[in-house]
Amino acid sequence: MTKNSIFLAALFLVLVLGGAIIFSRNYGGDAQELIIYSGRNEDFVRPLLDKFEEETGIRTRLLSGSAANLGHRLVEESHRPQADAFLANDAGIMEFVRREGVLTPITSDRLEDIPAEFRAEDGTWSGLSGRARVLMYNPELIDAEEMPQSIFDLADPQYHDQFAITRSGNASMVSHIAAIRNYAGDEATVELIRDILANNPAITRGHSDIRRMVGAGEVKFGLVNNYYYHLQLHEPRHNQVAAIYPDQEPEQMGVFVNVAGIALVDDGPNPEAAQQLAHFLLAQEQQKMFTEVSKEIPLIYEIEVPDYALPIGEFRQAEIPLNELGEVWDDTLELMEQAGYAE
Amino acid sequence: MNKAENKYQPFAAIRRGMLNWWRERLWHGRSPSTFLLFLTLPIGLLMALPLAYILIYAWRGDAATWTRVLNQRIPALLWQTMSLAAAVTIAGLILGAGLAFLVVRTDLPGRRWWRWLLALPLAVPPYVGALTFIIVFGPRGWITELLGRPLFPLYESLFGTSLVLTFFCYPYAYLITLFSLRRVSGNLEEAARSCGLSLKQVMLRVTLPALRPALGAGGLLIALYVVSDFGAVAMLRYNTFVSSIYYQTTGRFDRSGAAILAVVLIIITFTLLYLEVRSRKRFNYAPEHTVQRNLQLIHLGRWRWPALAVTILIFLFGVGLPFGVMGYWSIEGIRQGALDSRFFGYILNSVLVAGMAAAICMLAALPVVYLRSRHAGPMPRMLEQAIMINYALPGVIIALGLIFFFSRYLSALTVTPWLIVIACFIRFLPQSLRSGSASLAQLSPRIDEAGQSLGMSPRQVLWRLIFPLILPGIMAGGALVFVSTLKELPATLLLRPPGFDTLAVRVWSEAHEGFYARAAPAAMLILTASVLPLKYLLREEK
Repeated sequence: MTKNSIFLAALFLVLVLGGAIIFSRNYGGDAQELIIYSGRNEDFVRPLLDKFEEETGIRTRLLSGSAANLGHRLVEESHRPQADAFLANDAGIMEFVRREGVLTPITSDRLEDIPAEFRAEDGTWSGLSGRARVLMYNPELIDAEEMPQSIFDLADPQYHDQFAITRSGNASMVSHIAAIRNYAGDEATVELIRDILANNPAITRGHSDIRRMVGAGEVKFGLVNNYYYHLQLHEPRHNQVAAIYPDQEPEQMGVFVNVAGIALVDDGPNPEAAQQLAHFLLAQEQQKMFTEVSKEIPLIYEIEVPDYALPIGEFRQAEIPLNELGEVWDDTLELMEQAGYAE
Repeated sequence: MNKAENKYQPFAAIRRGMLNWWRERLWHGRSPSTFLLFLTLPIGLLMALPLAYILIYAWRGDAATWTRVLNQRIPALLWQTMSLAAAVTIAGLILGAGLAFLVVRTDLPGRRWWRWLLALPLAVPPYVGALTFIIVFGPRGWITELLGRPLFPLYESLFGTSLVLTFFCYPYAYLITLFSLRRVSGNLEEAARSCGLSLKQVMLRVTLPALRPALGAGGLLIALYVVSDFGAVAMLRYNTFVSSIYYQTTGRFDRSGAAILAVVLIIITFTLLYLEVRSRKRFNYAPEHTVQRNLQLIHLGRWRWPALAVTILIFLFGVGLPFGVMGYWSIEGIRQGALDSRFFGYILNSVLVAGMAAAICMLAALPVVYLRSRHAGPMPRMLEQAIMINYALPGVIIALGLIFFFSRYLSALTVTPWLIVIACFIRFLPQSLRSGSASLAQLSPRIDEAGQSLGMSPRQVLWRLIFPLILPGIMAGGALVFVSTLKELPATLLLRPPGFDTLAVRVWSEAHEGFYARAAPAAMLILTASVLPLKYLLREEK
């Protein structure tokens, strides 16, 4: 045995032992830290958590991933919950998780500030910021009059090869389709999806891709949450974009408004700190911060909306209660698959 | 007394029969010590676990799910996966075999250097390669900005995806053709020439047929890789079985659809694997022991410089571009402060997972290699096959099998990074097994006998004689596992606990957000670490 290999063997031994210690310490359900599963972009959440830590002295651990994935994880872990709070970018997934019985009600008195349509009936989750599903376009390539004025216009063959949508697995997309089902029925929805796909849209992994594509003129328009449009307006380049709020006529569906919010996990390792986090995030000050950091729209009417955004109430909104979306969540994925919208 | 003995006789006979069957049938007369069995059996079971669990899970899926998936998903996925595999295989074979021919049989300038330089793209993980192509040729890439329109469609396109994959997969065909070309007998060619064939005719009628098995094996290796790739395919938004299984696993509560897709992918993989093993068996065309004459070099004449230009171009795409682009963006990223404490956290995570996977692989390879080389019969072979199969299985499949098993039986582990370590152990143990076997093959069984005749127990023989002698081989295998784990993407993405980011995961997620400057430093580290073990890979091919 050469000296070299003894050294290497020792090195590996240290690695294994060190790893075992670090792994079990960091991921073994530590009661000292508030563990937050987040389906939102880390950059949007981090500033708020930093402020929370500063004000309360509670340490947080932010574990980011896809909301749908983390939601399913919460259900799988329900016999031994690992997380305290769940920040999701979609009401449908929060409602799905609630129906699986893994959430506990938020006790904060500030919950009442949020309009009832944007929170769970039993108070287990609450929206913190709003996002409207809009059609963002590049005015250099297409005029406002030529743009589709309704989601259902996306099926029109004249828009062949001209727009982008996200993958079917995107939580916002699933909830949007669920809302369309609620409005138009299953058959019409399947037909709509088929016709949209026949138009050969670019299918992206997320909305970030779409806003960049529209900004750079790779596609004429795309279906996004409105804050992606706001974010693109603030880019140093390719920021000449505009947006259509579809389905505004009285007989039409209206714009589907979804929320990002917080849900509290039942029997989590650190329930009191979790309640404190909910109470903190529900404060107007923090909600204002959301609109500044991620450029979403506030749910509380009193909060002032920056001039680039349309506040809730100034456009016609689809009358679909968010707390009915969870019921059809998994089902909607199947319907989308049936229509050929699978990935 | 007598009566009692008689009473137990049938049991004794059965027992004797079982023991006999165990020893003679399963081990051909040499059953291993209990200690060795105790070490190897759990390894074998763990290795078979992902595959077995996917089959069980898919079997339990209800008929409606089966028909839905079979009718709605399979036809399109089959076409997309197979057309991509075919395109990359054909292009990779032409590129790989052509380059091998150039460096071995012609007077290409600098051919000794090119011989190993052209194998380097093998070290570039295809997802990093895809990212560079996106940065350069993508819809917002450098070339596109320069020309005002994209040179060719990169996303969602069979052409774009196969082009990218070809540049990073051709070395499979290249290396195996290179190896085979150097063993083509000069005697045969000389005989053919003396019978009056021209050099061109010799190439077509003697050399090319001799290369056929190598081309077959190389092509199948490429196809096997293409059907298993996740990163590049997903980054280029092309849908294959692997990416579809990934999205089904992450976005759904009901995973039986993913399991069914996985079963189809397993069948495809096994078919390719079977063909590959068969083509390898027909490998020995050339008489090895005869005196090798120097092969006659073909003089390229005025084609010398064009040939060199093509070689340089391919090298630039496969190696220059990834290193150049990632280097450029790394500097940019470092200027913007990408090397913060979080970044070092990602490095630590990567090194820990890779180090643990490597260490466990090295420990596990030891008894397995020993068992395989010192014992005969179907049992050791079964064990080896259970291990080797995982090398060909796509990472998503292994991850999916582990998710099914662990979320059901050992869910406490699903919140730790241990699952990644286990997945990489299962996936990459074949690598350390191979290099361990190679070094043990050089040790005569006489050494064992000598040890035992000096009064050592089998365990002492293993630890005090065999272990020190094969350690270098095992170490080399460990280094390979380390780097493979560092590069690993799909299983890490599927199995990581929330918030556990490794370098590969960062490359994936930052690239998705379009933050190239933040993706590049991590990619550059992976690239650098990947080049190192190529030395071992190349040695293996000699």
